[in-house]
Amino acid sequence: MNPVFSVSDFVAVLNQTLDYAFPTVTIVGELSNFRVSKGKWVYFDLKDESSSIRFFGTVFMLPGPLEEGMMVKVIGSPRLHQTFGFSITVKSITPVGEGSIKKAAELLQAKLTAEGLFATERKRSFPYPPSRIGLVTSGESAAYKDFLKILSSRWGGIEIVHADVQVQGESAVQQIVSALNELNTTQELDVIVVTRGGGSADDLQAFSSEQVVRAIAASRIPTLVAIGHEVDTSLSELAADRRASTPSNAAELLVPDRDTTILQFRTELKRSCDRITQLFAQETDINKGLLAEANNRLLQEIKKQQNYANNALQVLHGFDPRRILSRGYALVRSGNSPVKSVTQLKLNDIISIRLVDGSVTAKIGSVKPVE
Amino acid sequence: MTKTKNEKTYAQLKSELDDALAWFESETIDVDEAIEKYKHALSLTKELEVYLKEAENTLKKLT
Repeated sequence: MNPVFSVSDFVAVLNQTLDYAFPTVTIVGELSNFRVSKGKWVYFDLKDESSSIRFFGTVFMLPGPLEEGMMVKVIGSPRLHQTFGFSITVKSITPVGEGSIKKAAELLQAKLTAEGLFATERKRSFPYPPSRIGLVTSGESAAYKDFLKILSSRWGGIEIVHADVQVQGESAVQQIVSALNELNTTQELDVIVVTRGGGSADDLQAFSSEQVVRAIAASRIPTLVAIGHEVDTSLSELAADRRASTPSNAAELLVPDRDTTILQFRTELKRSCDRITQLFAQETDINKGLLAEANNRLLQEIKKQQNYANNALQVLHGFDPRRILSRGYALVRSGNSPVKSVTQLKLNDIISIRLVDGSVTAKIGSVKPVE
Repeated sequence: MTKTKNEKTYAQLKSELDDALAWFESETIDVDEAIEKYKHALSLTKELEVYLKEAENTLKKLT
């Protein structure tokens, strides 16, 4: 016999059954009747060719702006409401299919551009090379291995704090946002690197979700984001302070190559050495000049002294008494005194007469002054 | 960042080297001072080279 329920009992029993049988369901369909109420509550339907289901959630679950007709994947819990009927309470919603993903990204890009999140003037620089790096990526990924390999081959002495997160799938967005928040609040870092390797548009979707893009834009610590291959550009990269094309490229942008750096040091040192050599050459030239000048002045002085000596010699020569004696004059002495006047002499005094070639002595025979 | 042998970081050593090398760019420099500065720059360069060749990155997990 079929059980008989009151309406409320039936709703309760059915919800219990749904909780047991389908605690969460994932449904893909076309978005329709999308509306946001009071800036907080979200209502929409998912439909296909023959069916339509109602959904209910909050704006915090949205990946960004959505548009009617988009294909989306919704994860949620089915529930029969006591008065509003059946609906699915949304846990997450993501666009699916290249077209919808692209469209969602375009809508979000336009919205965030209008808010100024991608503005060039917001971009900050970080130390080159950095001392401490936060790394947000999956520890199992090739991106993680490539990044660390290139980083270590180029530079050493860096502390890397790794936040191991899922980079695709249901929990990716929440894990990336939490990792960014935690790194920002608990670590002193020069830069946070957010990276993952290539994949389909669906695989890379977390990095274009509004929550991740906003977390990157809000990061206190400067960010470097490298998502996918060179051709892929996620909105996270636009919000980052710097973008790299691949995980390896992120490592290349972060640090210089140690061998090149050593070479640069040596080159710069050589330039300094050249400067000293040049300086020595200049000093030598200056000293040579000074020496030549001193030499000239010395020669001039010597010449001057020579001229002076020659002149003095000539003057002295003029005073030589022998020149006077040679002209027939004589030097008369009485005792040790020169005789300059006849008044110094008297008869029979002995005098000494010095001539140019010798001396004679004589006795005074007469004394006669000049009249 | 790992410290160098004289307990200075790479950034500190690099900054010292930059200062020493920048000094050589001044218009007038004294020969004796230049020799001292060069000796200092040479020693910093050697220390930086050793650091760059020996320093390893360290990895820790965010818990």
